[in-house]
Amino acid sequence: MSSLVNRDGAWFVMKWLRGAALLLATLMVSAVAVANPNPQDDPPKFVQDVADQLLVVLKSDPEVRKQNLERINQVVEQYMMPYMDFERTTRLAAGKYWREATPEQRQALSAAFKNTLIRTYSGAVTVIEDETYVEVLPFRGDATAEDVVVRSQLIPGRNVQPISFDYRLRRGPQGWLIYDVNVENVWLIQNYRNQFSQEINRSGIDGLIAALNERNAKN
Amino acid sequence: MAISRIRGLVLAASVLILTGCASTQGPENPADPWEPMNRGTYAFNDAVDTVVFTPVAEVYAFIVPRPVRTCIRNMYLNIGEIWSMINSNLQQRHIDAINTTGRFLLNTTMGLAGCIDVASMQGQPRIENDFGITLGVWGVPQGPYLVLPFLGSSSVRDGVGTGVDFFGNQFDTIGQIPNVRIRNSLWGLEVVVRREALLTVTETVNRTALDPYSFIRDAYLQRRAAMVSGSPDAQELPDYEDYADVEADEKALGIKPEKDE
Repeated sequence: MSSLVNRDGAWFVMKWLRGAALLLATLMVSAVAVANPNPQDDPPKFVQDVADQLLVVLKSDPEVRKQNLERINQVVEQYMMPYMDFERTTRLAAGKYWREATPEQRQALSAAFKNTLIRTYSGAVTVIEDETYVEVLPFRGDATAEDVVVRSQLIPGRNVQPISFDYRLRRGPQGWLIYDVNVENVWLIQNYRNQFSQEINRSGIDGLIAALNERNAKN
Repeated sequence: MAISRIRGLVLAASVLILTGCASTQGPENPADPWEPMNRGTYAFNDAVDTVVFTPVAEVYAFIVPRPVRTCIRNMYLNIGEIWSMINSNLQQRHIDAINTTGRFLLNTTMGLAGCIDVASMQGQPRIENDFGITLGVWGVPQGPYLVLPFLGSSSVRDGVGTGVDFFGNQFDTIGQIPNVRIRNSLWGLEVVVRREALLTVTETVNRTALDPYSFIRDAYLQRRAAMVSGSPDAQELPDYEDYADVEADEKALGIKPEKDE
């Protein structure tokens, strides 16, 4: 007891912990680095890599498991957002009202909507177990098209029904980017369009941004 | 013969329901002309759910370990496969019907009365089906969105479907158990099991929706439309108009956008 409480002891424990953390971090990075998603790949491979990478991090991070929103935020920011055209997602959800929004409003709306998406993830991580994996289904679309859908299944664990997860991508100058996600036959953008227009009609674009932020601040 | 009789009955029922509910104020959403009434029912359901169903489901989830819950839930779903299979046949989706039959036989035997979903593990996931979808496949339109007391999201068509589902699925299976206490306990447990399976979903909706009512409505309508259209490849993708393109076009053509709308 006393040896731990005194300075040297505490210093030793700190050092050891730091070393362990560093080792863990290296391990995680190398595990993640196995499949670095490349937007220039075929859409199915790209989606598989994005999903696998995200899943590895979600599974291995204890803070994510505890539904620590801040950490989930970082993970989504780091492992999901680079492969998404989230401005497009927001723009399509806003529909015709996008035209009336100033550049600042557009940015604020996009940021607020992104937080909403992150909160969705924090609910979803509760179904993730060690055996969870993502299976991308055979690609039926036209890979030369500009706009494609990749279907996949999230298999949460043994003896649990798979959850269907589809991604809609668009080819840009830098390659493919995801802009819409479909969970169990429900498209994200489509499901927010009415809520967005409802809120904008009631209290304007600023009102919508405020409502999203208020929603995000709650538990 | 039987099918045409059912069709006739359903048509009569839909007309009754449609004329029974006089429409309310000016409709905002064409799919939901009875929104004020529906919101009322929704609020009622939500209150009942918060006070009764959610707490009971949470207690159940707390006491019973996850694998056991999954087992019990799978057993209920397994019983439902018979009715799904009949509906797949009514929809002329015979391959689905064969797959569902295969699932039922495999899971009932190898899966210990449905406890273990062996078929899903072997790559044959459950094909959900019900009579509302059958009506949709036969060409009956969805009709106005309708929130049913206690049961939640539905539509005029699906509400009729749910009525038929009760006969086809519940009364012909668990309903055939002669012992009233066992039968009612099984039904009671089924309600708890079904609610528990949705706990994460409702939590996520409450966490992320701006307006849970329209979130759930839009999700429901999208999902039902997808189920009627059948295979994922047959489904139509939502066609979002991209106003960045519109702006770009206007810029190229030198048109000034109209600000007031």
